[in-house]
Amino acid sequence: MSIRLLKYAFIEDWAEPRFFNTPNELAHSYDVVIIGAGGHGLATAYYLARDHGITNVAVLDQSYIGGGNTGRNTTIIRSNYLTEEGVKFYDQSVDLFKSLSEELDFNIFYSERGHFTLAHSDATLRTARWRAEVNKHYGVDSEVVGPDEILKVCPQIQLDCGGNHEILGALYHAPGAVARHDAVAWGYARRASEAGIEIHQHTAVTSIDMEGDRVIGVTTPRGKVKAGAVVSAVAGFTPTILSMVGLVSPIEIFPLQACVTEPIKPWLDTIIVSGSLHLYVSQSSRGEMVMGASLDPMELHSRRSTFEFVSNLSDQLLDMFPFLSQVNVNRQWAGMADMTPDFAPVMGTTPVRDFYVDAGWGTWGFKATPISGKTMAATVANGRDDDLITGFNLARFGDYELVGEKGAAAIGH
Amino acid sequence: MKYIDLPSLGRRPSTEFVVAGILDPEPAQLNDISPGEWVFNRDSLPMRRTEWWYHTPTQLWFLVERDTATDEVFGVSLAGDTADG
Repeated sequence: MSIRLLKYAFIEDWAEPRFFNTPNELAHSYDVVIIGAGGHGLATAYYLARDHGITNVAVLDQSYIGGGNTGRNTTIIRSNYLTEEGVKFYDQSVDLFKSLSEELDFNIFYSERGHFTLAHSDATLRTARWRAEVNKHYGVDSEVVGPDEILKVCPQIQLDCGGNHEILGALYHAPGAVARHDAVAWGYARRASEAGIEIHQHTAVTSIDMEGDRVIGVTTPRGKVKAGAVVSAVAGFTPTILSMVGLVSPIEIFPLQACVTEPIKPWLDTIIVSGSLHLYVSQSSRGEMVMGASLDPMELHSRRSTFEFVSNLSDQLLDMFPFLSQVNVNRQWAGMADMTPDFAPVMGTTPVRDFYVDAGWGTWGFKATPISGKTMAATVANGRDDDLITGFNLARFGDYELVGEKGAAAIGH
Repeated sequence: MKYIDLPSLGRRPSTEFVVAGILDPEPAQLNDISPGEWVFNRDSLPMRRTEWWYHTPTQLWFLVERDTATDEVFGVSLAGDTADG
């Protein structure tokens, strides 16, 4: 628990200071300019200050803090991936998440729930076994369980799923958790800001200034800024930013939609994911059912919502939990997911000197927020890829060295 | 629901289609880039472009000109009917 919370209880007129500074002017130059004030960009700023003493940093965002995919995901945190690179990376992220409330002295509502990836076919069960063995090998708590164990934790589930998709078992990942996603961004923003880092909201980067093969700064509607290094952490806008420095990547942008229902009494204590039904569902601490499905079927640079999404999702959801037919959907929204062909991120150095990229976070970015910030900060500070992310470099595609994480995506995209 | 006006079949819901991505240049037309770059790299910028759309009920391929920023469709033609199809 965050110690700061106790002050509310014991000091009657305790007032919170502003969360982060809002400097009026952009400085003429910064050591590092980070594009994108989402969880990843702000975490990078925070760890640059904490681990490397680099505080002459500006975080620029075209909109507001955490308004992109940081505030649009379904807040699930897990590390039951399929490749060595993936498991090691996400496992460290889970470790950082566990102590993040204390680290930031801000309650991120980290809540360990356990995570079931349901298997409705022999093929899915086989992948689940494979993932469980890889996870155990790297010390991650993960096992294949049968229908009885699923029923013990979630007695409401209909194991026959309407007769078409009988549940045969599941990959169970006990450390699976949820956290309040806005709080993660705000917590990092506050601590980065305290260290002297400037956060400029509503400051879009319109072009990146180059001299030969290196970046020297960025241009915004508020003027030009010189930068020793530029980090792009912009999720769905990555292709646009990359094109400013003449880079091309395999990233494609697809909308990913999600929705919440009205709050209901707590009944679901765990996280349920079904690849075959294209569905993931958990219950928030406010009692809302938080639900998501697979990507929209075609590339689109937009955050529009569709009725087809809610209707398809409800169709699948009611096969598993028929009693939810009485519950209303309250809100729905979309984020722009930057998908890569191997479902692994694109991180680290690029062929452009002093330009770093943190992208390709598709549908799996929130759970990586702390570790991507930490490794990106180390990469920028040292000018070379951190050991944990060398496998995620943009160059892997040209070298045919893909990471192959698709089998561990939450749902079959 | 989004609808697509097919040349001979009229308005069909977009859920009847599988979108197979941008109409790429053929490898023979490539000079400057490596095979790996051709296989993986994408011009995924918001833009107006021509895409492959497969109509599942009729098993026909169409070329659809669409804006990936607004989702607006400007033209649909049966693949094979155009010079570059």
